[in-house]
Amino acid sequence: MATQNNNDDRIALLQGTLDLLILKTLALGSCHGQGVARLIQRNSEEVFFVDHGSLYLALQRLEDKKWISAQWGVSENNRKARFYSLTAAGREQLAEKAGEWKRLSRAMGLILNGTMGPTGEEA
Amino acid sequence: MFRRKRTAHDFAEEIKAHLELEADQLKDEGLSEEDARWQARRAFGNVRLAQERFYLKDRWAFLDQAVRDLRFALRSLRQSPGFAATAILTLALGMGANTAVFSVMNAVLLKSLPVDHPERLVFLETSNPPRGTGTVDTHLTFSYSVYQSLSSQNHGLSPVMAYVPLSASKVAVRFGAEPEEAEGEMVSGTFFSGLGVNIPFGRGFSPKDESDHAPLAVISYNYWTRRFARDPNVLGKTFFVNAIPMTIIGISGQGFEGVEGGHSTDFWIPLQNRPELNAWGNPPNEGKIYTTDPTWWCMRMIARLAPGVSREQALAQLQPTFQHAAFVGLVMKMEDEKPPVLSFADAKNFYGSEDTYAKPLHILMAMVCLVLLIALTNVVMLLMARNATRQREFGLRLALGAGRGALLRLLLMESFLLVTAGGALAWTFAVAATRILGQWAQIESSLAPDRTVLLFTLGALALAGVLFALAPMRVAFAGTAELALRTSAATSNADAGKSRTGRVLVILQLAMCVVLLVGGGLLIRTMRNLENTPLGMKVDGLVVFGIKPNIPSVPEEKMFYQNLIGKLRILPGVESVTIMNERLGSWWSNNSDMLVDHRLPDVANGTSRMVRWNIAGPDFFSTIGVPVLSGRDFADSDTASSPMVGIINEEFAKRFLPNVNPLGHTFGPDFDNGKISMTIVGVVKNHKYRSIDEEPIPMAWYMYAQIPVVGAMNVEMRVHGDPLLILPSARKVVQQMDPNLPLIKPITQRDQFNTTISQQILFARLAGCFGFLGIVLVATGLYGTLAYRVSMRTAEIGVRMAVGARRGQVVWMILRDSLLLTGIGVVIGVPLAMLVGHALAASLYGVKPLDALSYMLAVVGVTAVALAASALPAARAASVDPLKALRTE
Repeated sequence: MATQNNNDDRIALLQGTLDLLILKTLALGSCHGQGVARLIQRNSEEVFFVDHGSLYLALQRLEDKKWISAQWGVSENNRKARFYSLTAAGREQLAEKAGEWKRLSRAMGLILNGTMGPTGEEA
Repeated sequence: MFRRKRTAHDFAEEIKAHLELEADQLKDEGLSEEDARWQARRAFGNVRLAQERFYLKDRWAFLDQAVRDLRFALRSLRQSPGFAATAILTLALGMGANTAVFSVMNAVLLKSLPVDHPERLVFLETSNPPRGTGTVDTHLTFSYSVYQSLSSQNHGLSPVMAYVPLSASKVAVRFGAEPEEAEGEMVSGTFFSGLGVNIPFGRGFSPKDESDHAPLAVISYNYWTRRFARDPNVLGKTFFVNAIPMTIIGISGQGFEGVEGGHSTDFWIPLQNRPELNAWGNPPNEGKIYTTDPTWWCMRMIARLAPGVSREQALAQLQPTFQHAAFVGLVMKMEDEKPPVLSFADAKNFYGSEDTYAKPLHILMAMVCLVLLIALTNVVMLLMARNATRQREFGLRLALGAGRGALLRLLLMESFLLVTAGGALAWTFAVAATRILGQWAQIESSLAPDRTVLLFTLGALALAGVLFALAPMRVAFAGTAELALRTSAATSNADAGKSRTGRVLVILQLAMCVVLLVGGGLLIRTMRNLENTPLGMKVDGLVVFGIKPNIPSVPEEKMFYQNLIGKLRILPGVESVTIMNERLGSWWSNNSDMLVDHRLPDVANGTSRMVRWNIAGPDFFSTIGVPVLSGRDFADSDTASSPMVGIINEEFAKRFLPNVNPLGHTFGPDFDNGKISMTIVGVVKNHKYRSIDEEPIPMAWYMYAQIPVVGAMNVEMRVHGDPLLILPSARKVVQQMDPNLPLIKPITQRDQFNTTISQQILFARLAGCFGFLGIVLVATGLYGTLAYRVSMRTAEIGVRMAVGARRGQVVWMILRDSLLLTGIGVVIGVPLAMLVGHALAASLYGVKPLDALSYMLAVVGVTAVALAASALPAARAASVDPLKALRTE
């Protein structure tokens, strides 16, 4: 998603990867939206920037699919917040999507790191 | 699991919570309160956008888009209300006429009976009845013995149902003290169960009811509504049919009004076997009624194919049974006689009357299709004109970044709006029109549009919608954005005025206009001819009604009629009274070959010996106002004991007694070996008997007092003033004689005759209406198009006049163009009209399909419309100040 942030080297998320990141983050324990955003940013060593609007819509989408469930609660610093946690279906999804992603990234790695190319074109 | 949908408010709360949490954390990281808040906000991005996307999440984006397009299209149509109204109304008229006629056609020709699995039902027909039988319809009626043998088998058809009316018109019934008339039928015990007719209240008949000839009745939903205001207490009530008590045991489901369309049955009773309830209300024939007389083929049959049996198999199985049963009880089968052949017909809604309606309906359908075509062309021309002037608007929109897709969506949406509004209006028209049509045509069954009609209309509308969206597209996208911006309104439209499509459409419309005018003209002249046909009698001042006394003895019955005539004669205002067997102008007649002077008369090869005859009372010809050419009328002095007398018409004398004085010769029916023979005492002028459009045919009359059968009669009264006003006192006279007797179908004799041409008149009127509608549409369309074409050439006219053209020259230039188009239109239209005239030939009366006058008037009419449509705008264009015209550039 386009944002006004153009002065750093963060990478906007690819379509569809956000869901996986959220599921993975929630696998560590239930958390509110702001926490999820922070965790993704921190755990990716500040490479991924999460558009907050998109994050909340993604959370809603996952909730609609019953992969995560939500509940209003109170944060550690006594703020009202909506806490998300992974459901059984979500855990299955996470395993499946993570597997998919690993295959994809391996394939990408093979191509980007490999020496093969269209025959004759390689100088 | 059912979960309440999350509200947008809850979502907004969460975002608020997020911003606070984020700000808290940023504060912890060392930012000031204000900075933290601002930074949190900044990191979030567009809060509103997130909320809007949440809102749209579960909604169909395209629907939202469609609503926006719809609003836009509405706005753009509202900017030209004249255009929108014209287009919608034109479409509604064209489509409404189509829907109405198709709806009638659907009800009459396409719909199956409203019963269970109508595709497994068949009507039984025969190639011919055996010799020596009397029929009601040569192909459609069977004898009771045939019904019995067919219904006692059950392998091919199961069950076989028979039905037969209690009267040729209506039958006398009485619920309380007052007698009234109703349409009643006798049916087999399997009638309701076999058809699968729903009986929501009470029950239908059982086979036992038929074998017991049980005095039970089922009334129709319509009759229950009309006569009893849906009073549920009517079940169990007893009423009298021809003075025989019947108990109501059931009310049939809504929509079922008997198996034959065109009229609706009020009540049904099981097949009876008493002379008072003989089939068709006939008097017993030598003591025999329909159940005991195998020579009288009077019952109709409908049957359900046995399970798993095909039509062909059923027919093959039943043919021998039928051919055997056909001759049961008949004296002998003649050597060379071909056996009758049984066949099946589809169980259509209007079985038996399809032929009467099929041809006019097809012609009407063709006419309304033409009207629709004209209407569609009109709207397309309107749209083209409108969108041509919008070229600049489209150009501008394209230049401002609208995609072609967006423009297409706009055009589609506008077309959708027009079609929806027009379609809704058309449906309203059609529903009202079918109701009125049903009343005019005296069709009591429902003609209202049903689902088939709805699908047909929606299909036609969808086509129209696509047409309306696509037709203007070429014009709309003709110019590129920059071209449209660069050029002026006047020049960018100059081409549209001369476009070839426009010319073709105008020619097409002119041709269709010729066709409609010729067709309408022929039919209207037919109507005139029918209405002005002389009947050969003084029909005004006559009123007629039927009487069916329940008197088994013939002499007593004659006494009854003699008394009745005597009592009616002395009513105040009555000039004269007579009776007759077959009512004049009712389509009914008695027909047979006649012996003249005790032998079959010689006739030229191939011509018929058939004579239409009737039974008449005293003063018959003076009452109906037919001149007696020689001899005398029937009189009270002609009685059973005086010599038997008869009267013939001119045609009879000319055909069978040429070149002699017919008085004193004899005639008689060709049965009983010429026992009955009448001496001719009078010759009367030819006049109409069955209907208005019949040709003169030999006719003969017996005197009722002198022949051995009488039965039901029609009373004809000549009165001063309004003939219908005599009916209450006549009714009182009849009821004093027998409280069970209603006056059956009382009507003035003029109206009675008019019923025989009502269908042609209705057809001609409808055709005239549609023709007129078509012409109005063509005229407005032509005027609009030609005016538009001329106005597009204003700049050109300005230039011509500026370089010295005179007004007359300019006007002529425009008119010449229109005349050329008219000429081509006429050349195409006239052969088409000839085809139409040929198709109409059977429906014409007293006018030839190639009637020169009709064609001339059509051509003159079309030319006048075209000239008027172009002369006005041409004159207006020519009176424009050349400088002003040039300045529009």
